[in-house]
Amino acid sequence: MFDNYVLSDKGFKNVEVNGEVIGYEMRTRITYYRGIPLSMIQDIQLEIDGEEVPREKIKFSPDGENYFTLDEMWTVTTYKWEYGVEGIVFVEQPGGLAEGPHEITLTQGVRVSYIPVPFFGTNTKVLEI
Amino acid sequence: MNSIKTAVSLYSFQDEYARGKMSLEDCIKELSQQGVEGVELISDQMLHNAPFVSDQDIESWKKLTQKYNVFPACNDIFINTKLYRNRILTQKENLQLLKDELILANKLGFKLVRLVSLTPTDIIENALPLAEELDVIMALEIHGGMGLDHPETKKFTDIMFKVNSPYLGLVVDTGIFCRKHPRVSTQFFLQQGLNKELADYIDNEFAMGRDVFHISHPGTAPAEVQTMIKNKIDQEYLIFAGGYENKPFSDLDKILPYIKHFHGKFWDMTEEGLEYSIPYDEFIDYLKENNYNGYIASEYEGGRFALPGSEIDAISQVRAHQAMLRKYIG
Repeated sequence: MFDNYVLSDKGFKNVEVNGEVIGYEMRTRITYYRGIPLSMIQDIQLEIDGEEVPREKIKFSPDGENYFTLDEMWTVTTYKWEYGVEGIVFVEQPGGLAEGPHEITLTQGVRVSYIPVPFFGTNTKVLEI
Repeated sequence: MNSIKTAVSLYSFQDEYARGKMSLEDCIKELSQQGVEGVELISDQMLHNAPFVSDQDIESWKKLTQKYNVFPACNDIFINTKLYRNRILTQKENLQLLKDELILANKLGFKLVRLVSLTPTDIIENALPLAEELDVIMALEIHGGMGLDHPETKKFTDIMFKVNSPYLGLVVDTGIFCRKHPRVSTQFFLQQGLNKELADYIDNEFAMGRDVFHISHPGTAPAEVQTMIKNKIDQEYLIFAGGYENKPFSDLDKILPYIKHFHGKFWDMTEEGLEYSIPYDEFIDYLKENNYNGYIASEYEGGRFALPGSEIDAISQVRAHQAMLRKYIG
């Protein structure tokens, strides 16, 4: 129901390190109503311009400082994804994305205690690099 | 003379908070401007790294409640039983998490924690000595769809009756007293493609004074309801419908001494200043007759049914709900 939280309008950009574009990133809010340890993020799925991004290329950061692959995140209980704080989804892709509009479909799934199955939120938007 | 007090659950302002329109201070300031006596928090919604909140953030929470003169009435807590993806936590791990929450509640100045429905019951008795030591009551949420006849709820109430400690009790959500299906939900689902025939059927069940919980699961719904389920939206709507129980107030008779707090659930304040689904006048009359003297905390949940393109306005909704509560409390 809070699917429109999944993709922030701000923060979609190529990421440059030491003069080299290493990938791109976007921002996402949790569709649940409280903060959770990263280990409770069941999955993040991403499609860019109709193409699925391989999950091993995706990293998530709750704070812009620490980045974890989706597999690593299974064990991360020391960092929380706080309610109302935009997490960063980073995709490793040398050269990044071409400037201009891209259609993004981002899906997040979280696993919480008293809901029997993980629940997923999906949002599609066209954002500009 | 009755001494029912009002509070607001900050759950109500979650959209404004998530979008950065209101800070924690703005939320508490709003309560103070409305003359609300108590505040209910979800610590892991609005405080970072809960239950291990920094001393600095604890200090600043306490300062806020003092500055705006609102009483920390209840902290809503959760046990992350599904912390790992390949197993659920053990009893010992769950117990430790509950103890951490009790310690935090105490530091924040709360005398009451709300345990979310379906909190594991096998840790309750072991946590009780710490609750007593810290002077923090543990009260299970009685929520629509997981109300008094739910087997997991019954497990808790069995322990509660047996132990009979002042530190064990209940937080009852008024969503168990719906006399109508919330119309904001109906509108929301209709816009997504809900079969109108099914919506009318559920509205009619409520109009006949019946509880729809037993027909709310697509797998167990009667044949005439099954034929109305045409798509996923119909299924989802029907499951949601089970979350609005239609119980008599007299269901509380047996548990009154254990009720520590009420969630004054609401979805939609009408232009006449009434909650669309729940007859608060009758509810508050019942509480007065039974000398309830705790809090009723406004808990706005209509935001989740905001139609695409429309803004959520929790502040106006909460103001209207508080005005209604005060009118009936007298």
